[in-house]
Amino acid sequence: MPGSMYDKILRIDCGRQSAESWDVPEELREYIGGMGYGTKILVDEVSPSIDPLSSDNKFILTVGPLTGTMAPMHPHSCIVTKSPLTGTILNCYSGGFLGAEIKFSGIDGIVLEGRSPDWVIILIEDGKVSFHNAELVRGKGTGETERYMKNLFGGDVRVISIGPAGEKEVAMAGVFSETRTFGRGGAGAVLGSKRVKGIAFRGTRGVETARPEEFQRLVEEDMRHIQSFCAEEYNLVGSFSRVGTGSGMGLINSRGALATRNHKFGSFDGYEKIDGFAYSEKFYTRAISCYGCPVHCGMLHKFRKYDQSDSWLRGPEYETMFSLGSDLLNDDPILLAEAHLLCEEYGMDTLTTGITLAWAFEMAERGILREPGLELKFGNRDSILGLIRQIGEREGIGDLLARGPGVAEQEIDTGGSGSAMQIKNSGFAAWMPRRMKGVALAFATSNRGACHKRAPIGAEIMGQIDMDTIEGKAVLVKEIQDKVNAVFTLITCRFHEFDADPEIYPRYLAAATGQTINLKEFLRLGERIWNLEKLFNLGAGFTRADDRLPGRCYEPIKGESSEGAVMKPEQFETMLDEYYEARGWTKDGVPTPEKLKELGIEGYAGLVRR
Amino acid sequence: MAIGFEIDPQKCTECERCMAVCSLLKFQKVLIRQASISVERNWPEIPVIRVCRFDDCEGQPCITACPVAAISKQDGIVRINREACIGCGLCVQVCPEQAIWMDGENNAYKCDFCGGDPACVKECVTGALSLKGG
Repeated sequence: MPGSMYDKILRIDCGRQSAESWDVPEELREYIGGMGYGTKILVDEVSPSIDPLSSDNKFILTVGPLTGTMAPMHPHSCIVTKSPLTGTILNCYSGGFLGAEIKFSGIDGIVLEGRSPDWVIILIEDGKVSFHNAELVRGKGTGETERYMKNLFGGDVRVISIGPAGEKEVAMAGVFSETRTFGRGGAGAVLGSKRVKGIAFRGTRGVETARPEEFQRLVEEDMRHIQSFCAEEYNLVGSFSRVGTGSGMGLINSRGALATRNHKFGSFDGYEKIDGFAYSEKFYTRAISCYGCPVHCGMLHKFRKYDQSDSWLRGPEYETMFSLGSDLLNDDPILLAEAHLLCEEYGMDTLTTGITLAWAFEMAERGILREPGLELKFGNRDSILGLIRQIGEREGIGDLLARGPGVAEQEIDTGGSGSAMQIKNSGFAAWMPRRMKGVALAFATSNRGACHKRAPIGAEIMGQIDMDTIEGKAVLVKEIQDKVNAVFTLITCRFHEFDADPEIYPRYLAAATGQTINLKEFLRLGERIWNLEKLFNLGAGFTRADDRLPGRCYEPIKGESSEGAVMKPEQFETMLDEYYEARGWTKDGVPTPEKLKELGIEGYAGLVRR
Repeated sequence: MAIGFEIDPQKCTECERCMAVCSLLKFQKVLIRQASISVERNWPEIPVIRVCRFDDCEGQPCITACPVAAISKQDGIVRINREACIGCGLCVQVCPEQAIWMDGENNAYKCDFCGGDPACVKECVTGALSLKGG
């Protein structure tokens, strides 16, 4: 029965500059696609103890059963690799049009292996792979690299690329795709370590579904549902649809949960100058969709830089408004846009970059860090742009900071109390663990370091549950982690999952590929993948001691609306105990043999380091 | 009733659902590149939406350009008879909207207005694409 998956993955050997098509085996099909495929392939084929920047690492880029179809809010593609930032297994995502193009080229994904002798650009056309010299774009930014690739191969290719930061293996380097970013975890450095500057896809094979009429009915039902909640005045995704993801900054600020000045404060007076409303009022604004998406939360803005040149960007997203805005005491929307663009050109995650800057500025204030020729100061334009550049170039102090905020802190603030806002060396996403206890637990236990993708953010910030209590958070966080892992096999946009009846996912799957699985089994697959990731991380040497919050999270938050809000260490430890128990893990956070058997992955127990 | 589209590219968010549904109806699979409507990205400027404008197209030069009379107006809708098309490409050249294309078999193709009820219009949630006079 033809379905929406091609059951083929391209294995590309960068060292030999060769490629072969690999038929997806039945035991992999059980993992549906997307994150499921990536995780299973990596765990099966890559030892947890490898150096992530060595040729032993693999870079796995996948799509899922709904990618490229008419199903709304499924534009993403997924990268799985071992992260050079965290040392954990990594999964990261980008929207846009890349995913659909990968699917249209007749494959479910690619696995890059080895290391190319020279810098290359790879073209994948309907599953055929060719290697091209990348010398002309060595050291160039992601925008210029994309333009070069489109000139070379035709304007209709969809591309990913890395900037100078990825080439220099900066730990927070991302992979960029037409302003959309695989941001977290340093996947750009892995691509750089393989000496791959970019990959272009062109596909003419399209995509069909196993049960087209049933699929079409689901699409229509889903479209009606999405349009209905987007029309609601107080729906979060609806507000994203109108002014972008920065629409909620005022609400977050009013709840005392807007991380400010390296997370010392929970509110920022200047937020009104840099939030989604400010950008759409001050600058030319146009809503931009990812493939097939009726929400269109991406906002394109035109603006004039300080050097008077006209510029534009698609963004910033909310997370960047925090990381390069409030957390740096930056209330200047033009500076924020410039900083965003600079990160984009260097090819770096705006989150971990901003977190690293915030920490460096605080260290400078305390006299612990200084950089000749560059003032390191909150809210200062030269400081912000200068330090981003130095990290991207690995110049001066930038060379240390390029290794990540946790590593940098260990190096120079050994007696410090944990003021680098990172977990497993990954910078915090835009949420305050002290204020939002579910977020605290989600950050600490995430398999990829301080991650917001699987945190109960909406429920806590919208007040559906009490954000200050630890009650019930362990089970809640486990359930969200499993659920999000499950929907990431389909690579569903997280915003879809906010408002969807989860029954739609197995229904979609059945109509797309003919695979029948009930919701319980689907969520159980999410849990299985979570445990596989955990086993990989245990194999890489992570322990309970790594599932921890930095010291600042136990200090009271300064600021009017959240004065005194605090997390107590014993509260956190209680949550962590409850969480491990809910997971069926030991007190040390190791999955028990019974749990692994229940999930059907007992064969992977040997991954754990003894 | 006049046949044609109201097009407001200012409202277009470039989601390409119009292209996807168009190809799905014609080929039973999503084949964006063979859709009879095209959204051309022009960042940071607004996109160009290319589709046959029917009654809004002055002179409808494709009809007269076709040397074998494969293009004609039926029930008010300009259509290409694929059987009769010889693949000369003259219609592609004269189309002022650049909304006629050649397919892999060297036949010209364009929007046929879904026979009177265009699917792309229903798929457009922002109103960038609507029915003329609708």
